[in-house]
Amino acid sequence: MTTKPEAIDSLWMPKETAGFWRRARSGFGYSPAVIILAGVLLILIVPPIIFLFQTSFYTTTFAGEFDKFTFGFYTELVTNPRFFNNFVNTTVYAVGSAAFAIALGTAQAWIVERTNTPFRQYMFLVAIISLGIPHVLYTIAWLLIMGKAGPVNDILRAITGAEEAVLNVYSMWGMILIEGVGFAPLAFLLLSSVFRSTDASFEEASMMSGAGISQTFRHITARLAMPGIMALMLLIFIRAFESFEVPALVGLAGGINVLTTDIYESIHMEMPPNYGQSGAFSVVLLLWVVVLLYWYNRLSRHAERFQTITGKGYRPRQMDLGKWRYLTAGLLVLLFLLIIGLPVSIVLWASLQPYYEGVTAGSLGRFTLDNYVEVFKAGSFRDSILNTLILGTATATAVVPFTALCAWLAVRRYKGGWFLDQMATMPLIFPAIVMGVAFLQVFLNMPFALYGTLLSVVIASVVREMPYGMRYSYAGLLQIHTELEEASAVSGAGEVGTFLRIVIPLVAPAMITCWLFLFLIAVRAVSMPILLVGPNSQIVAVTLFDLWENGQVTELAAMGMAWMALMTVVSCLFYIIVRRYRLSLH
Amino acid sequence: MTNVMKRTTRLSTMFAAALAVTGVLWGSGAAYGLTEAEIANLKGPERQNILVAGARKEGKVTWYSAMIINQALRPLAAAFQKKYPFVKLDYWRGSSRKIVQKVLAEIRAKSLVADVIEGSGLAQPMVKAGAVQPFYSPSLAAYPKKYRDPKGFWAASRFSYMGLAYNTKLISPSQAPKSYQDLLDPKWKGKMAWRAGSESGALLFITNLRLTMGEAKAEAYLQKLKGQKVINFSGSARTLVNRVVEGEYPIALNIFLHHPIISAAKGAPSAAMPLEPVPSLNGTIMLPRGVKNPHAAMLLIDFVLSEEGQTVLKKANYLPAHPKVDPKSSLKPIVPRLAGLKENFVTPEILFEYRKKSKALFDKYFR
Repeated sequence: MTTKPEAIDSLWMPKETAGFWRRARSGFGYSPAVIILAGVLLILIVPPIIFLFQTSFYTTTFAGEFDKFTFGFYTELVTNPRFFNNFVNTTVYAVGSAAFAIALGTAQAWIVERTNTPFRQYMFLVAIISLGIPHVLYTIAWLLIMGKAGPVNDILRAITGAEEAVLNVYSMWGMILIEGVGFAPLAFLLLSSVFRSTDASFEEASMMSGAGISQTFRHITARLAMPGIMALMLLIFIRAFESFEVPALVGLAGGINVLTTDIYESIHMEMPPNYGQSGAFSVVLLLWVVVLLYWYNRLSRHAERFQTITGKGYRPRQMDLGKWRYLTAGLLVLLFLLIIGLPVSIVLWASLQPYYEGVTAGSLGRFTLDNYVEVFKAGSFRDSILNTLILGTATATAVVPFTALCAWLAVRRYKGGWFLDQMATMPLIFPAIVMGVAFLQVFLNMPFALYGTLLSVVIASVVREMPYGMRYSYAGLLQIHTELEEASAVSGAGEVGTFLRIVIPLVAPAMITCWLFLFLIAVRAVSMPILLVGPNSQIVAVTLFDLWENGQVTELAAMGMAWMALMTVVSCLFYIIVRRYRLSLH
Repeated sequence: MTNVMKRTTRLSTMFAAALAVTGVLWGSGAAYGLTEAEIANLKGPERQNILVAGARKEGKVTWYSAMIINQALRPLAAAFQKKYPFVKLDYWRGSSRKIVQKVLAEIRAKSLVADVIEGSGLAQPMVKAGAVQPFYSPSLAAYPKKYRDPKGFWAASRFSYMGLAYNTKLISPSQAPKSYQDLLDPKWKGKMAWRAGSESGALLFITNLRLTMGEAKAEAYLQKLKGQKVINFSGSARTLVNRVVEGEYPIALNIFLHHPIISAAKGAPSAAMPLEPVPSLNGTIMLPRGVKNPHAAMLLIDFVLSEEGQTVLKKANYLPAHPKVDPKSSLKPIVPRLAGLKENFVTPEILFEYRKKSKALFDKYFR
């Protein structure tokens, strides 16, 4: 930035042009960091969007190349009654499971945050450990428990004397139940913060005015928490709308299709794969999620009208439930069984059997460790566990510093910082399977070999996790006052130096939990990687899905046990750091 | 910024490494200056020597197959590995549809991983897409003509006879349905499952009826079958038979008849019931165009088609394609020519030609 070149420029250039060049050289007032980050974001996010739309407008040849332009895939959607039928299915399923998850989560959060029930503090650990269980394993565990040959039906048969299975889990209610229980820990974690930040003085006033616990809960606690609950309900509704594991494993077997399984089927059930159809479905699903997210943002903004955090000092009050606390403790134990106890037990049981035939007396004599031997042998199982650890580590390691930098530039209102924020949050509109379709097309059309490699899965996963990294970093950075950075700048440090030496150490604990959280969600994903992985880049969640389809239930169970043991270590680490630094879990 | 730069460097290093590896692998095919087509069609005594020498350099081979891992793929791989310990055999199991999707995608993305592919119902789409290389294999001389493609694109690797499996705890052998007409009995309503949309499942069921009854009668039959509320299942045939063993579904339609027999031998409550005319399919083995390890690929193909490889399949209770390798005696009741049943052999061409309309009929009546 010496003045010399400018002086020379202005000698022989018209004034405005000279200004233009000077501004161009200094990046039009944009920090070079902003320009580079924006460039990286554009390269990562724009191609999938373009390819997704292109796919939905082109027929493909036998070999899968784009052929002719057409609107046919959209007209087919609109004219096919199945599409509307499946749309209704999707909505019923998403509303049902969101409502069920919120009901479980609310009960749990209230008991843990607001009462003196024994064991309540352990529920956080339960919720966090459940984060490490892949959703696909969870779903399979419940299918083993509630399937026609499972223990639940055995018990019901014994009670009713019926000859045939009483419950058919491959149904809409089965899907809602499994998805609802699966989302309950997340609902609990998010809701517990709603309850914690609610001023308890209203409840105290209610109790002093003679209302009982249930009356207080209904008229005060629930009402105060309602805006938070509504926003959460919409959030979980969106997640369920996009979910794939339960619809694929439960719904498809029961003949109930939703939009995500329609996308999966148009690629895997047709021969040759109907990429155009998958594209059109994906675009529709994407647009619908955009609408839902818009509502969610409005709802969570309106939630501020019900401000419950005031300047008054307060402590969340714990109600003394008296004898009733044994009942609530019983409820917590029940929830523990639903969330971890039963699914893990049935998986453990199946992992010790030569073939799965339900829980019968006959199978007691058949215990074997063969499945574990198979899993720990060198080969595909071990490769897939290793690949998954690489995937999780690479994703989290790339996303955390990247989004931390983006978030810092955005929080400190650098010119163009808002753009980084918007771009890095944008992947949120992609349901995972839609992002899979989009990236599949990107990698298929690359001039060099990338499809099917672990690197390609890492790239897609980085884009997918970026919004979560952004949220974490943003929240963490907002809490840091600028005066520390100003002091650094005054002492002569540049922006990079300030970021590395002041900002990073301050947000380090938040970044570490962010890293662990991203690791946990990256390794459990199925619906995006299932379209991208090749035989040399198998990852655990997809392998479990394949094993279920191939009918290797007992080996699946052994692999699931090994994986859960590994992930429990990671989850506990996460929990310890969160507690040590008193960080928020969300 | 340092972070970003580090990340960029890391990425570009990985890119460069990936490119370098691809280059090396591409180059290896030409170890003897032979093209893939030449390697695939080597004849005479030097064939084996050239293949072994080439495979030694390649050191690995990747096989995509629809055979069930813990029944057939593992023993076959172990036997191959024993014979050629210097070639590392990796396998990936997928349905025929998934194999087609994966291999075509890999070719399009210029990152072909598969060296050999095998499955029922994948021959025609692969040939139509121009994605497979014609090949020769010495054992094929012994095979009947209809078990090989005239142009050499595929060869039969195994046989499958399709029919019904039922749970013997829930249904006694005397009660079990024995004909297509029996399936329309109201007592089976809601108790039968088939693999929706699968080549060898519901679609072959429909194709078989169209081929043997004629279009009009077949459709009339399907209309009646619609009332039986057949359950659409979306896993592999093996998984569906497992569900029958577990009692989840009492009856499975159009599964591989040898699967319930394998399970019954282990004490599971399952039995097979062929329905006349019995549709039969051949598994086909193929060599994709542009594989990275052509020598090792041909060694594997030769092995699978040889008497030695086919005997491994026989021992695994599969149905060999090699005429000199008879199936196990426990399987004879399901092999039409040995059991005196009417057979309808559905070639890969017919299976594919009939696919579209059968899929439309399936969508019309059963979705």
